Amino acid sequence: MLFQALQKVFRKPKYILLAFITSVVIFVFATWLPNIRLIATIIGSSDASFSQKLGIPISLLGSITTNFTVLSASYTVAIAILFGINIAMLVYFMKRKISEVKQSGTVTGFAGIASGILGIGCAACGSFLLTSGLTFVGVSGILVFLPLAGSEFGILGVILLLISIYLTAKQIENPAVCKT
Amino acid sequence: MHENETKPHETSPIEQANKLTIPGAIVIAGVLIAGALYFGSSAKSVATAGINNQPKQDVEQPTENLDQMKAISKDDHIRGNPDAPVKIVEYSDTECPFCKRFHDIMKQVMNEYGKDGKVAWVYRHFPLEQLHPVKARNEAIAFECAGELGGNDKFWEYADRLYEITPSNNGLDQAELPKIAKYVGLDVAKFNACLTSGKYDKHIEEDTQNAMATGGNGTPWSIVVGKDGKKYPLSGAQPYASIKQLIDLALQGK
Repeated sequence: MLFQALQKVFRKPKYILLAFITSVVIFVFATWLPNIRLIATIIGSSDASFSQKLGIPISLLGSITTNFTVLSASYTVAIAILFGINIAMLVYFMKRKISEVKQSGTVTGFAGIASGILGIGCAACGSFLLTSGLTFVGVSGILVFLPLAGSEFGILGVILLLISIYLTAKQIENPAVCKT
Repeated sequence: MHENETKPHETSPIEQANKLTIPGAIVIAGVLIAGALYFGSSAKSVATAGINNQPKQDVEQPTENLDQMKAISKDDHIRGNPDAPVKIVEYSDTECPFCKRFHDIMKQVMNEYGKDGKVAWVYRHFPLEQLHPVKARNEAIAFECAGELGGNDKFWEYADRLYEITPSNNGLDQAELPKIAKYVGLDVAKFNACLTSGKYDKHIEEDTQNAMATGGNGTPWSIVVGKDGKKYPLSGAQPYASIKQLIDLALQGK
């Protein structure tokens, strides 16, 4: 069922392109996230040449090999790919105007990406997103008790996205209201 | 009507609620992400309590600003030419695996730019108590003791050796600290006395506070100071190619 739904969506090149672009955007966002200030400074700098304004942000994408563990790099790439697939399937689905179907897949998908982003923030020491976010609600000490020091959120993101893809595929394969 | 045509029907309140689920989910996800980014980048008083387990201060913390970086002075641990046109100030945690990786990247930087006196590496402490309790701070003190007993060269020798052998993530056996002292040729008895004296606690806390005041939320946190004094923030263990380009930009400052 999942395979058939994927085939149905991705036999059209525009959905492959949409999934690819979405995945790239998520991946770039994840790797640039710690250095948004630097990128903004360089792009806004009159001292930097055009090639530097382009070259430094591109080279920062290489941080996937230096600023991530094997585990966090794996789930970051997985989240980017799965989110791309998820978005393409949802767009396919919405274009068919099957508005009556349950939206649980969408909710799960967004929960997955939100959780994944928390996990991405945990990649670097200090886990700047999670530590600060949890500190705000007074439970940052929870990190000490998480065996993977926050990577749990990234893994949860992957699981939620997989569930979302499955639910969306199920809805594509079983449209709820076709009149005979 | 065709067989596969979608059935037109009246929308019930439940279905209307379902239709709102997508925009609702998008808004919730957006708020979550924006909130995480906002609190991750600007809530300094929160980060003070969170990262370092220090009591939350009543006074409002200054907004993060690279200009709040403590001026580089003779009290700093500097590798390379102290008058180099470009200085990289690194705030580091000895038990952070990314700091270990970044230490090697910085050695590569110094091999290329240090010999000509173009770049100086300034090392400051940023032990993350919540992730690496006790050990990271203790090891920062060990660095200072090495510097006190053997000068700047021994500080760096000690740092190189510790980063080389630590498995990171609070994994270094603290019995290794005097062994490293011996390895780099320090007086172990004096080193041990220094380690337990508590004399560097304030200094390490000041470095940590300064890291956060400049916007450091995690380690390694670095500030590249250009020829013209312009400062560039650099978060994490970024690839050598990025740092090289950043140094070249900082070197060309007017």
